[in-house]
Amino acid sequence: MADRYLILEDGSAYLGEGFGSPAVSTGEIVFNTSMTGYQEIITNQIYHNQIIAFTQPTIGSYGINHDSYESILPTVKGVVVRDVASISTNRQRRWSLDQYLKQQNIPGISHIDTRHLAKKLRVSGPMKASIVDVADAHAFDQLGATVLTNQQVAAVATPKPFPNPGTGLNVVVIDFGLKHGILRELSKRACNVTVLPYTATTEEIINLDPDGVVLSTGPGKPQDLPDSVLEMIQNIQNRIPLFAIGLGHELFAMANGAQIMKLSPEHHGANHPIREVITNQIIYASQGQGYAVDPETIDRNKLITTFVDLIDGTIQGLRYRDFPAFSVQFFPDGAPGPTDALDIFDEFVESMQQARGPIW
Amino acid sequence: MQKEVVDSMALKRALTRITYEIIEQNKGIRDVVLVGIKTRGVYIAERIAERLQQLEDAQIPVGELDITAFRDDQPLNAALAPTDYQLEFGVADKRVILIDDVLFTGRTIRAALDALMGGGRPQSISLAVLVDRGHRELPIRADFIGKNIPTARQERIKVSMAEIDGHDGIEIINDN
Repeated sequence: MADRYLILEDGSAYLGEGFGSPAVSTGEIVFNTSMTGYQEIITNQIYHNQIIAFTQPTIGSYGINHDSYESILPTVKGVVVRDVASISTNRQRRWSLDQYLKQQNIPGISHIDTRHLAKKLRVSGPMKASIVDVADAHAFDQLGATVLTNQQVAAVATPKPFPNPGTGLNVVVIDFGLKHGILRELSKRACNVTVLPYTATTEEIINLDPDGVVLSTGPGKPQDLPDSVLEMIQNIQNRIPLFAIGLGHELFAMANGAQIMKLSPEHHGANHPIREVITNQIIYASQGQGYAVDPETIDRNKLITTFVDLIDGTIQGLRYRDFPAFSVQFFPDGAPGPTDALDIFDEFVESMQQARGPIW
Repeated sequence: MQKEVVDSMALKRALTRITYEIIEQNKGIRDVVLVGIKTRGVYIAERIAERLQQLEDAQIPVGELDITAFRDDQPLNAALAPTDYQLEFGVADKRVILIDDVLFTGRTIRAALDALMGGGRPQSISLAVLVDRGHRELPIRADFIGKNIPTARQERIKVSMAEIDGHDGIEIINDN
């Protein structure tokens, strides 16, 4: 294992050991507190162009398996860990994390004091970082000069419609960089899914005669998307049951007049208790959010708050008062777990069935 | 033969969805009162009221209705004459949500409408049921439905609520 460095925009450098690809790469570094689920997290497109630092000290202990991809090709820029497991066993193991990252041309770096790093990032928020071979002035200059794109959705969302056929309710998924868990849960419920690009117009959606519309998760800042997306949501939400997740949730809130704020510290992990307001029950779910709906800007005559984060009080779910359109900030698909929120997909299916009327 | 068709999770979710739909269709909860038909309709009404309280921070009146005396399958008999108006509140100008566990022939609901009549002229009466099992004999339909469960006529639907039955769930029972 070769010595490599993780260098940060603030001038700090961490010496570690390289694994995965030997490439030099630059992205925005975020830390994730999930104890399991590294494969789903690495392949989740919300981390496009980002370097993920795991606070769980050992990563890779169960390899890579074929059930746990959240996208076809991961687009993270690096993986930072305390220890990477060299031996891994898994009944369907194909590759170790090291082999997988080599294949995907993603550099990893181990032996980093991820607790120190996480404490720093909690205060500073995400910053630019590189995984490099030499931490000299030239490397820091290059890092400082790198401009990261704000068009992440365009980079990861499908450019063309594609089907995910089923025999049940007809669902259109608007792709902002979706994770496979959304399609997996709709498949389990037999939905006949068409995935449309995020540029889809109201007419294109209506012409597919959907029973329901899903706004997917995705990377980046919702304000960087064109206003046409918000118009589409405004035109759809009162006509067809709507379920929005992650970035989709932020867009749903914006389409109804709420503002989005930068969240600090960000939520990346699965250990925040979340309260479902209507039942007062506590659930856990994976989160991956750098932005949140500003609660002061919610029009209470339009939207009801349905889920609240118990650690910092951030809005985790909204629902329109007058029609079945609702959203969650967290990932309800349980990929990676917890699976406490899976039944929100059942709620969506029931809303669609109710909107259609009885079957006799 | 018994078969559970709705488990406790799904039952709770159905009540949650009905609560949201009540807010949707009434454009809020102004003037809304809940009237549960004994026995399980009352527990359902109380659970919906709890949910509305959580969401809207408002206390919604919940009434209990015993429709025994209003049933149309009782022999006409003075001892069974409809008793006085049963609710503790009037329903004049209210948006009444009538709540029962199972909607079958529609006769219970017709009786419940009779039992409500002494309370004044409501703005509207709508019907929420946990299960619609079909086989109507009267022109009655539900506005809020937890679950449509197609059944054969001779089958029975058993709704269990934790308050009285120790657990939540819905079963289809076929005695044949």
